[in-house]
Amino acid sequence: MNGASQPNIVAMGGFVLFIGLSLVITWMAARRTKSTEHFFAAGRSITGTQNGLALAGDYMSAASFLGIAGLVSLSGFDGLIYSIGFLVGWPVVMFLIAEPLRNLGKYTFTDVVAFRLKQTPVRVASAIGGLAVVAFYLIAQMVGAGNLIRLLFGLPYETAVVIVGVVMLGYVLFGGMLATTWVQIVKAVLLLGGAFLLAMLVLVKFSMNPLALFDAAAQQYGEAVLAPGRLVSDPLDAISLGIALMFGTAGLPHILMRFYTVPDAKTARVSVSVATAAIGAFYLLTFILGFGAMVLVGQDAIRAVDAGGNMAAPLLAEVVGGQAFLGFIAAVAFATILAVVAGLTLAGAAALSHDIWVSVVRHGRATEREQFVLARASTVLLAIASILLGIAFKGQNVAYMVGLAFAIAASANFPALILSIFWRGFTTRGAQFSMIAGTVSALALIYLSPAIQVDILKAESAWFPLRNPGIITIPLSFLVGIVVSLASPEPEAARRFAEVEHRIHFGE
Amino acid sequence: MTAIYVGFILLIAYAKPLLATRIAPGLSLGILLGVLVILAAWLLILVYVRWANRHYDTALAALRRQSDI
Repeated sequence: MNGASQPNIVAMGGFVLFIGLSLVITWMAARRTKSTEHFFAAGRSITGTQNGLALAGDYMSAASFLGIAGLVSLSGFDGLIYSIGFLVGWPVVMFLIAEPLRNLGKYTFTDVVAFRLKQTPVRVASAIGGLAVVAFYLIAQMVGAGNLIRLLFGLPYETAVVIVGVVMLGYVLFGGMLATTWVQIVKAVLLLGGAFLLAMLVLVKFSMNPLALFDAAAQQYGEAVLAPGRLVSDPLDAISLGIALMFGTAGLPHILMRFYTVPDAKTARVSVSVATAAIGAFYLLTFILGFGAMVLVGQDAIRAVDAGGNMAAPLLAEVVGGQAFLGFIAAVAFATILAVVAGLTLAGAAALSHDIWVSVVRHGRATEREQFVLARASTVLLAIASILLGIAFKGQNVAYMVGLAFAIAASANFPALILSIFWRGFTTRGAQFSMIAGTVSALALIYLSPAIQVDILKAESAWFPLRNPGIITIPLSFLVGIVVSLASPEPEAARRFAEVEHRIHFGE
Repeated sequence: MTAIYVGFILLIAYAKPLLATRIAPGLSLGILLGVLVILAAWLLILVYVRWANRHYDTALAALRRQSDI
C-alpha cells in the first residue's frame, strides 16, 4: 500500500499516457463529426447502438465507478442498493419517457415541458432546477477527481481539487462542443473494458467463483456485509433513496438530451436497450470490484486514503495489477470525469446564459457576441463554484453525492415532464410551481440532513433525519403541480394537448 | 419493474434478517435478489422492445394509413 501516500513514477506515467491518448482519440473523432455536413442534423442520424453506448457513457460517471465500488467495499450489501437503483431507472425511462421525448423534443427536455405552455416562465423554472442538479453532479465529480489526483501525485486534497478544476475549465473552454457523442462512446468502452479486466483479475484469485469472493468477505468482516443494514439503518431512508434513484434518471437533463440525437422512436428504443445492457453489466461488475477491494485491499487501508471510500477501485487495481494498471484505471476514471464534467458544465452554462440571462434579463434581445461571452463567463463561474463546493464536501462518498443529484432531478424535473406528457390539465403555472417546489424543497431538506449538518457543519444532530429527501420532495412536487394547475386553468394549453398526443405517437 | 424494485426496497427496509439468510456459502438471499433485479430489468426491456417492434409499430402504421386516406 506504499503507493497510497507517495507518488509513483510508473502509475503517473501510465496516467499521463492514457489521458493524452484518450484526448487525441476523442479530438480526432470529434473533428470527423464536425466536418460532416450538418452539425445538428447529423446528430439526428446517430445509430441506436452508438447512441446507446453514448448514453451509457454519460450515465456511468466515475462517480458510479469510484463511488459504488467504495460504498460496497466499506458497507457491503448496502452499496449494492446504489448499483441496482441506478439501473432500475432505465426501464422507467424506456416505458414512460424515451419515445414521447424523441417525438416531442427539439434540443432539451425543457422544450418538451414547454411544448404547449408559455415558454419563458417554464424555461426559467427548469433552468433553476437544472442548475441545482448540475451543481451536485459536478461536486461529486470534483470530489472523485480530487481524490484520484491526490492518490496518484501525492498532493494535498485541496490543491488537487483546485488543479482538477482548472484542468476541467481549460478542457471545457478549449474543447467545448467538440467533445460530444464520440467522447462518450470511447469512454463507455474504456470504462467497461477497464472494469471487466479489473474484475477478472480479482476473480482469478478466487478460482473464478464470485461466491468464493463473497464468502471470503463474510469470513473477514462478518456475515453482516452480505446483508442490508449498515448504511440505511432507517427503513424510510432506504425507500427514499430507492425512489430518488429510480425516478432521478428520468429527470437528468444531460441524459434526456441524448434522445434528440436519434432519427426516430424505434432508434430511441434500441438505444435504451443497449444502454441498459451496458450499464447493467457494469453494475454487476461493481459487485465484484467492491467486495474484491474489501477483501484484497482491506477496509482500513481504503478508509485511510479517503474517508468516503472513493479510492477503493484504484487501490484494488494497484493490488491486483501493479502500478501500471493503477495508472490505467486512474486514467480511465479521470477521462470519464472530464467527459462528464464537460457535458455538465456546458448544460449548466447554457441554462445560466441562455435560459436565465437572455430570456429573462434581456427579454430575448441579446447579440450573438453577448451570448458567447456570457456562456464563457458562466462556465468560469460554475468551475469556481464547483471547486469551492468540492473542497467543502471532502470525505463524502461520490455515489452518495450523485444520489442527491438524482433526488433533485427526480423532484424538480420528473414530475413536470410526466404531467406535461400525460395530463391534459397541466398548466404553465403548475409546471413553474412544481419545478420550483421540487428544487427548493430538495435543496432545503438536503441542507437540513445529517450529511450537511452533522458531517460538514459538525452540528450535534440534524433537523431532517433522512439522508435522501426523495420520499418527501417527489410527491410534493407532483402535488404542487396538480393543485396549482387545477387552481389556474389554461384553456389554450388544454386545447393543444391533442397535438401533444398526436406527436407522441406519430412523431413530426 | 417498479413493483419488482419497490418490493426489493421494501424488503431491504423491513425484512433485513430475511435478506441476510444464507442460501450457499458466500451467497445471501439479498445478493441473489439484487442480481435478479438487474436481470429482470434486462428481460423487461427485451420483452418491451419485441412487443413494440412487432405490435405497437404495426398498429401505428395502420393508423397512419387510415389518417392519410
